[in-house]
Order: sequence, then structure tokens, then C-alpha cells
Amino acid sequence: MLTLSDVKKSFGAHEVIKGISFQVEKGESFGLLGPNGAGKSTLISMICGLIPNGEGEIRVNGKLVSKHRKETQQMIGVVPQDIALYPTMSALDNLMFWGKMYGLSGKKAKDRAKEVLEIVGLTERGKDRVETFSGGMKRRINIGAALMHEPQLLIMDEPTVGIDPQSRSHILETVKSLNEQGLTVIYTSHYMEEVEFLCKRIAIIDEGKLLISGTKKDLNNRLAGGIVLKLTVGSLHPSFIEQVKKLNGVEKVIVQQAEEIDVHLQSKMESVADVILLASQSGVVIHNMHLKEANLETLFLQLTGRSLRE
Amino acid sequence: MKKILSICLFEIKRTFKKKSSIVLMLGMPLLFTFLFGSIFGKNADIAFRIALVDEEQTAYSKDIIQKLMHDEMISYELFNALEAEKLLASNEVQGIVTLEKGIANKLRNEEPAATFQPSLGIATAPLIKQQVNQAMQSLDIYVAAAQVGGFYFNESWESVYERLTGNERQIQAWTEQRINASDGHPLMGISYSSAGFSIMFVMIMMLSMTGTLIEARQAGIWSRLFTTPVTRFQVLLGYFLSFFIVGGIQFFLLILLSSTLFDVNWGSPVALLLLVTALLLCVVGLGMSIASLVKTVEQQNAIGTLVIISTCMLGGVYWPISIVPDVMQKIANFVPQTWAMEGFTSLIADSGTVGDILVPLIVLLGFAVIFLSIGLSRMNYT
Ligand SMILES: Nc1ncnc2c1ncn2[C@@H]1O[C@H](COP(=O)(O)OP(=O)(O)OP(=O)(O)O)[C@@H](O)[C@H]1O
Ligand SMILES: [Mg+2]
Repeated sequence: MLTLSDVKKSFGAHEVIKGISFQVEKGESFGLLGPNGAGKSTLISMICGLIPNGEGEIRVNGKLVSKHRKETQQMIGVVPQDIALYPTMSALDNLMFWGKMYGLSGKKAKDRAKEVLEIVGLTERGKDRVETFSGGMKRRINIGAALMHEPQLLIMDEPTVGIDPQSRSHILETVKSLNEQGLTVIYTSHYMEEVEFLCKRIAIIDEGKLLISGTKKDLNNRLAGGIVLKLTVGSLHPSFIEQVKKLNGVEKVIVQQAEEIDVHLQSKMESVADVILLASQSGVVIHNMHLKEANLETLFLQLTGRSLRE
Repeated sequence: MKKILSICLFEIKRTFKKKSSIVLMLGMPLLFTFLFGSIFGKNADIAFRIALVDEEQTAYSKDIIQKLMHDEMISYELFNALEAEKLLASNEVQGIVTLEKGIANKLRNEEPAATFQPSLGIATAPLIKQQVNQAMQSLDIYVAAAQVGGFYFNESWESVYERLTGNERQIQAWTEQRINASDGHPLMGISYSSAGFSIMFVMIMMLSMTGTLIEARQAGIWSRLFTTPVTRFQVLLGYFLSFFIVGGIQFFLLILLSSTLFDVNWGSPVALLLLVTALLLCVVGLGMSIASLVKTVEQQNAIGTLVIISTCMLGGVYWPISIVPDVMQKIANFVPQTWAMEGFTSLIADSGTVGDILVPLIVLLGFAVIFLSIGLSRMNYT
């Protein structure tokens, strides 16, 4: 369905995408995870032909985006990160407008707009102006506009930013069921729980580089250890951290703040005891500690030393 | 083609959904035309003698007096307050009209700006009052313009006013011209206002419409448009058509309404259609080129209004260009409104045909080409 091979992009001297390759198969749900400024939106803009890609190749159904822009655009539905709707027009008018931009005729656009309103669950509000909608409802219409021409590939750029939990779960359910009906979905977010819920395969990007990609299971296997021991300590000697790192079963130590450290452990409980013992031996006072199961967020932390959301 | 049309119709629908568009399109120009276009009414030819007392003592009040002195029915003469009282007491004048200090402000606040003596006495009092008020109001447009100008140039309105009106002799010449309409063919009163304010408000309307280009860009609508299989050409042409059509509708309605309400005769329909088309191309081009040079809608409005008001002043939209100094008249050649007004004047006052407006037509189309190429080449899409 979609193939990226060694795609690069620079804005002036600033290289934003530094060689990314991945593939999305038909019917798949693919998650693109990364912190602010990772290059997610830039990548999407290139896939949907909004900005030309630098080096590398992007193919949709085998067709090069740079050569067959209109054809590939017709196959894709894009939900932009910002709500791109006409606030003074009704939801129905907005949907019909975007449908027509994909070549739907008047009658067809109207019928399809009603179907789409059904899909996003806003049938009763179809005639109301978009500016009277809540944030979550606007987001739903924003998604609806990308569904008008029944695309083969739906690309969503953080479609749930800044909305209430109810709208959010409605959106997630909707996308999940669309995917189950055969629509290929690329979902971008920095909420890992959304990506975990929706996507079979996930790619994590940071600073324009693909850190890791694979199925959820692949990624879990790549997790260094299953447990994170979070410690809040009184005072910290650098030598203590060095010693902890040398302990058996410790994968990685990350100092979050002066008094806060994360110790990534291979799921053995004994290692927890070893860390505490070492602390008391080196005179480090532990104020607080707790254990966390590793997930995609901790994976990201392990890979970059930073957390996904600041 | 279907997509171009879809964009165009969508934009038109969007424009007419806004109530403010209707007010801007029709309400304001008609109101202005009516307010500024009314001129002297002619009544019976009894010779009355009225003393004028000027307490304001500005260029504005002097112009009002000049105007009144040109009246054929009533003879107005200038005296100081004391003399005037004496003349009234000895019945040598039938009344006194005193122009008070701060006329302009009083007019704005709808306070009486002139006092009449004897307040009841004579039968012609209402006529005199009407004449004085008309003289004040017909000049009030300069004051309004001078106040706008003063605000922009950061000067007192009085000094801008003096510059605008040049000197008394020019005003006098103009007044004479207007009164002896038979030998020259200047555009008079309501007709002049109709043409002038139609131009100005179509320009303002187009400024606000072309602002949607910036709005759409800022709202990310353009970015989204270019992820759909439409080309830039289709998008721009769609927008352009919508501006052109709305401007055309506005012009059509203004012409229709001014000819039914105010009896303005706009002359040859074919020539008018050509002139309006050329002017619209030019105005839409101007709006689009401003939109392509600024970043926000606020900038578009601020810069656009400044450009429109100042070029309208230069181009003789508010007053005949013949009353301004030669230098200004030369500069005015570089302003499209000058040519539009020239075209309208020859259509309305001289019942001109297409052949008579060829020069204005060509110049306006030239402006249109320049503006449209700036607008299209400099337009920022993301
Ligand atoms: N048009 C542009 N010109 C210059 N730099 C740009 C442009 N667009 C994006 N960038 C830069 O590219 C980098 C990646 O931006 P991008 O919007 O793709 O990130 P993102 O992953 O979508 O982040 P977010 O989660 O905040 O949406 C940022 O450093 C941004 O400043
Ligand atoms: Mg983004």
C-alpha cells in the first residue's frame, strides 16, 4: 500500500527527516509514534504530496508520489493536525465541499456526506455551523472530511489533540471499526495508549530518524527488561549510579532529575533488592520508590533517554 | 472545471451567509451616496439679503460662506457680529446666520452648528436653514476625508482640509461649474457620489473578500486543499471567479438601486459593462496582490483600507479631481480610480459610448494585469 525508502527532507540547512524507510500493507493499522518536532507531520505532508520529498522514494500502491501526485492523492484521505474546516458553514456543506474536491458530483457528495455524518455520529448536527461545535465534534467532522471519497488509505495526524475523553474514545472506536472493514490506517500520535489500542504495527521516530518499528510484540521483545524501578533519593553520588549500572540484571539507569532515577531491570525481582542494598551501603537515602511495568513509553525512554511527552 | 466551479460557488455562498457582507455591499454605499450626494434645491427667485457672521474662522467656514455667496436666490453677505446686529435692527438685512465655532464637531454630534436670527420671523427661514445646512454638509465630505487623512498622516484635520481643498478660488470655480452645469459636463451631486461610493465600496468589499485567501491559508484550509487532487491553478481561479462574481453582483445592484432611488443615469449599458469589468479585474487584482504581500487578515485590512482611502482621495472619488493642485492631478494618473471616474463621468455626464472610454478601459486593464501578476506570482500557499 505504502512504501517509504530512505526518505529525507531538509528545510534550508535544517534536516528534519534523516532517511526513513518503512512499509505499510493493505488493511493494516500502522502507528507513527514520536515526540513534538519528531517530523511526523512533515513525513505525512510528503506522503500526501503537500510538500515534495527530498531524497528517497515514496510510493502509494506502487505509484511514485512525486510522479503521479494526483492519482496517489486520490487514494489517500488525510486528517490534518489542525482543524481545516470552514467555521461559518454547516457540517454538511463542509463535508460536501471536501467531497467535491475529490471529484464527487453534487448528488453523490450529498449522499456520501450523510453517510459520513452517520459514521462520525453527528447526523443530528449536520445542518449546524461548524463554529457552534465542541472541539471534539469539530475533530470528528475533520476526520469525516477525509472519508468523503472513500479512500484506500487514511492518514491521521494527531486527530485527538485537545479533546474530551468521550469524543476521543468515539474517534478511536470509529477508526478501529473502519480499519476492521478493510481501510488501511496510519495513525500518528504522541499518546502511546492510543497507538497501542489501534495499531498492529508501530514505528517510533525521533529527530527525523526511525528508532524502531515492528509489531507490538516485536517492540515488547525489544524492551530492555520488563520493570522500571523509580527511585527518589536524598542525595546522589555519581559513583552510586556507576555501581548500580554494574549490578546483575540492570539494563539501564536514567537520571531524570537530581534526585530521581529510573533503573530499568530485567524483570527479576532480586535485582530490586540488590539496588536497595547497594543504596544503604553507599549511604544513599531512599525517600520513595515504586515499580512500573515497561511499555512503549519506557521503550522510548530507553531508546532516547527522554520521555515521549514533556 | 467542476472543481473550480465548486470552489467558486462555495466561496460565494460563504460570503452571502455573512450579514455584514450585505451591509458592506449595499447598505453603506447607498447611505453614503444619499448623505453626501444631496445638493442644493432650487426654489423661487426672491432676492433676500442675509448677513453671515463667521465665528469659526477656518478654511472650512470660509468655504461654506463661499458656497452660500454663490446662491442666486438669496444674497448672503459677510459682516462681523456687531455690524450684523445693526443691519438687522435697521431692517437692511432680513436675518443673520452665525456659523459657530467647531462646526465640524457639532455636525458630527448632530448639534446645530449655525444659529439663525430672527429665529422665527421670516417665511424664508426654513429655506435659509436648509441652504446653510446643505452648504455645510456638502463640504462635510471634505472634512470627513480630512479627518481620515489627518488620522493617517498624524496631522490636524484643518491642515489636511486646507491642502485638500487647495484654495478658495478653486472651490469657487468648482461651485460655478456645478451651478452652470449646462456649459461644462461635470458629474454632479448624487451621480458623482453614486459613481464614487460604488467604486470605494466595491473596493472595500473586494478587500474583505480577498482577505479570505489569508484566512484560508492561516486556517490550514489551503494546506488541506493541496492534499486533495486539485491544482493551484484550479484553486486560484475558483477564488478569483468568486471575487469577480460577488463584485459584479454588488456593482449591478448599486447601479440598479441608484438609478431607481436617485435617478442616476449610468449611460450606455454595454460601455458600462466593459468599464465595470475592467475596474473589477483591477480591484480584485489589487485585493489579491495585497493579500499576497501580507501575513494576517488584520494587516490586510489595515494596509488595504489605507491604500483604498488614500487612492480614492487621489483618484477623485470624493471630489472632482479638477479642484486639486496640478501636482496631485499628475500623481492621480497612477491611481486606477482616476481612470474609473473618468470613464464613469464620460458615460454618465456626456452619455459616452465604448469609443469614448477606450483610454480609461485600456489603462484599467493595464493596472489589472500588473496587480494580478503581483498577486498570482507572490501568493504564498502554506
Ligand atoms: N515549513 C517548515 N519550515 C521549516 N521548518 C519546519 C517546517 N515544517 C516543519 N519544520 C520543522 O521540522 C521539524 C518537525 O516538525 P513536524 O511538524 O513534522 O513535527 P511533528 O512530529 O509533527 O511534531 P508535533 O507532535 O508537534 O506535531 C520541527 O523541528 C519543525 O520546526
Ligand atoms: Mg505534527
